[in-house]
Amino acid sequence: MTPSRRSFLMGAAALSAAVATPEMVRAAAALDAAAGADWALATRDVEGDTPRQAMRLIHGRAPRGLEGALYRNGPAKFRRPGGSATHWFDGDGMMRAFRIRDGQATLEARFADTPKRRTETELDAVVTPGFGTRGDARARIGSNDDANAANTAVMAAGDKVWALWEAGSPLAMEASDLSTKGFVTLRDDLKGMPFQAHPRYAPDGTIWNVGTAGGQAVIWRLNPDRSLNDAQVVPLPRASYMHDFTATDRHLILVLQPWVFEGHAMPVVSALHWRPEMGTQVLVLDKADLSQRRLYDLPAFFHFHLGDAWAERDGTIRFDVAASSDPRFAVDGAKVLVDGRGVVPGDPARLALVTLHPDGRAEMVSSEVVGEFPKADPRRAGLKRRLTAHTWGETRGRPLPTGLAVHDWDKDRSNAFEFGVHQVVEEAVFVPKPGAVAEDQAWLVGPSVNLKDGRTELHVFDVARISDGPVATWQAEVALPAGFHGAWIG
Amino acid sequence: MKTLSSVFAPVAALAVAAVVASPAFAADLTLSFPTAAAQGKIMVAVFDSAAAYGGQGQPAKVVLLDAAAGETQVTFDGLPDGDYAVRAFHDLNGDGKMNTNPFGMPTEPYAFSNNAVGNMGPASWDRAKFAAAGATAQTIDLK
Repeated sequence: MTPSRRSFLMGAAALSAAVATPEMVRAAAALDAAAGADWALATRDVEGDTPRQAMRLIHGRAPRGLEGALYRNGPAKFRRPGGSATHWFDGDGMMRAFRIRDGQATLEARFADTPKRRTETELDAVVTPGFGTRGDARARIGSNDDANAANTAVMAAGDKVWALWEAGSPLAMEASDLSTKGFVTLRDDLKGMPFQAHPRYAPDGTIWNVGTAGGQAVIWRLNPDRSLNDAQVVPLPRASYMHDFTATDRHLILVLQPWVFEGHAMPVVSALHWRPEMGTQVLVLDKADLSQRRLYDLPAFFHFHLGDAWAERDGTIRFDVAASSDPRFAVDGAKVLVDGRGVVPGDPARLALVTLHPDGRAEMVSSEVVGEFPKADPRRAGLKRRLTAHTWGETRGRPLPTGLAVHDWDKDRSNAFEFGVHQVVEEAVFVPKPGAVAEDQAWLVGPSVNLKDGRTELHVFDVARISDGPVATWQAEVALPAGFHGAWIG
Repeated sequence: MKTLSSVFAPVAALAVAAVVASPAFAADLTLSFPTAAAQGKIMVAVFDSAAAYGGQGQPAKVVLLDAAAGETQVTFDGLPDGDYAVRAFHDLNGDGKMNTNPFGMPTEPYAFSNNAVGNMGPASWDRAKFAAAGATAQTIDLK
């Protein structure tokens, strides 16, 4: 931390003529800069579980009818004495539960108790290779789940929540106390098959997901009770890195960006190569018959996250994407985040709308709105909609968003609320108001890290009045690092 | 008064003589798989060299335990003293193969001696090897 260096610096300034040479002052300033960016709290290490605590209402009032829990996942332990994760995606997963009941909010958090975390706790060193972390020879990896950080997203599953990663099994945790139950095997012969972090929920309750291995993908189809309905392996036209996919009520849509695996290597990013000349392909599969497929071509872009898709009557398919021009954030920017200092290369992602026409043409139109973590109305998953909630305010060089917004694709404009650079704003989920049907009759619920106060906050926005700011804000006693993705269980 | 070293010197000399006289003492190696489910068979291979363990040679001992009948332990009597490592897998469905998922990852439980875990592959000889001398036991968790 920096206070002692800051006070030394200020003291030095006051006494400069008498004591400090310019060299001393410069040296102290360099130390101060090296000590960390103002946003470094967002990637701090958490040393242990955080027992349930009341959050204090600091703004507005709890909306009537908002009852439930926001479960959120994200990395919360990067650094150990014998070696550290060097990439934001490789920290140990910590499940957070923000519970709202009777107008009160609480927060608790527990680490996913994974083999990776056990090994690294024992060795007091991060040794496991990951997405961008090299790891070392002490790693113990007998299967992909031995490297599973369980740190990316959440899926509700009865009285459990599943902590999702990208390249391994879901990890079941108790929804009531966040204790770890173990990896989920959906069928014995599918043990360890990758189950990615962004399942898509169909209007009929079916849950679809994917997992990739080079040039093939497993397509998961789960029943509403989270049991397995079917799993099929399909070939892909290319071995793209894929973090997300999307779906209409009738189609699965796999966006194959030109960031492709060429050979096997660890960490993952070292095997990936950016080939913009290949363009981006969009593979559309018919949910009813996965052998029925259609391939569309788009110019090259990089993305992590897609919005829910929909199909129109004439067969036109549309979906949104948080797109950027290259994978520099994934390779280098995410390392800056764990360093806790430095400049993030490249430009922040912008929202774009992709249209796949029945005649085989595809087009992508950028809104020019800076945004990430797109989320949409769950009542309209796979169906026509006009709104996308997203984070906002990220600027060139500085990582992490500072506001929230809702983009209206019909009007092609975003209504935003900017907290200011003292807040790191995380993904917010769409929570429909009880009994309401209109798309904007919903709340956005999501946290932020208040850098000024050193605390985690939970905000509720009215989707119809985002620019008015939160209708309620609670503040915790602690600051948890910024997470990735969450799920609301009402 | 005799010193301790003079008391033990003849014993040490005897031991050296014995080693020279015969290839090695006999070791009785007991392998237990207490967490194995009561189904299928457990295939166990014991190796006495890094080369054999690495696939360049035959195992010193091989056994098939009938886990379905509750057999989860085996003792190999009279092994020469030395370093050994064990590979084991639980053929749950009894098809004689180590089954894998569609992406080639094992779906049936397996383990190595010392409960060693590899680094994106089988546990290395260095992680799995143990010295067997006299009564030696390894408790192995198949997972």
